Amino acid sequence: MNVKSLAVLVAAIVLAGAWVGQGQADNEVVFPMPPGPLYVKECGSCHTAYAPGLLPARSWQKMMNELDNHFGEDASLDEPERLAILRMLTDHAADNPNANMLMRRIAASIPRDAAPQRITETRLFAFQHDEVPAHIWKRAKIGSKANCGACHTRANEGRYPEREVRIPK
Amino acid sequence: MTAPAWATTPQQILDSLVEQARAVQPGFTASVARGEQFYRAKQTGGKEADSCASCHTDNPKAEGKHIKTHKAIEALAPSVNKQRFTDAAHVEKWFRRNCREVLGRVCTPQEKADFTIYVLSVK
Repeated sequence: MNVKSLAVLVAAIVLAGAWVGQGQADNEVVFPMPPGPLYVKECGSCHTAYAPGLLPARSWQKMMNELDNHFGEDASLDEPERLAILRMLTDHAADNPNANMLMRRIAASIPRDAAPQRITETRLFAFQHDEVPAHIWKRAKIGSKANCGACHTRANEGRYPEREVRIPK
Repeated sequence: MTAPAWATTPQQILDSLVEQARAVQPGFTASVARGEQFYRAKQTGGKEADSCASCHTDNPKAEGKHIKTHKAIEALAPSVNKQRFTDAAHVEKWFRRNCREVLGRVCTPQEKADFTIYVLSVK
């Protein structure tokens, strides 16, 4: 084998590796997030700015109509912000036309007549977290299943891949 | 000369709250001591949080924690967090939400002015 064909072979292997790596990235738990600072500012103050792709549009529509009693709290917004955020949520919801494979799986797992409000009650959440024992959830730095960012270090960017998980002691 | 909207200072927000308080109580002056008492007081009539300190801790310079979600809340005092009290709409929004949560009603302009002068005084 001459040097030139060796170089071609090496390049082919590198490219194939990159392609396989890309394939794995497609299967990672990563959701597109709404652009601009508004979503994280308004929806990420009290809790993680959950990725809109975790629930279908009908869930977000119901939630955004009940913000004055948002899981028992007043999370009301001025109308322009409420409408802007509702649009961001539906545009990036699990059942939006541009949804990735993961979001489609989430959308398909939720009965058509249901509009779940708690992400933790969806089947995907239960499936992805079934190996996390109860005592871990009770750790001071976690404390709540709503506290995604405690372990998912880039949750506010819609990123939940397993390799970015750091469970606090 | 009017300061641009993005250059609101904590002092300007305090001045505006004092002005609103004077509209309902002529001669009102904000009090750090009353504000501190209000910040720490256990309230009734609200929901799960029963004082400002429930989430913001006894020390406005400390990082707080949402009592239900456990998400970290950045420190309230502008002496350690320069973002605080620089956006009047943001301040109003959180008074509205948190007063309903803790007291079950909106806060009076006097309470808001006292609260603010206290939090601004913590160095």
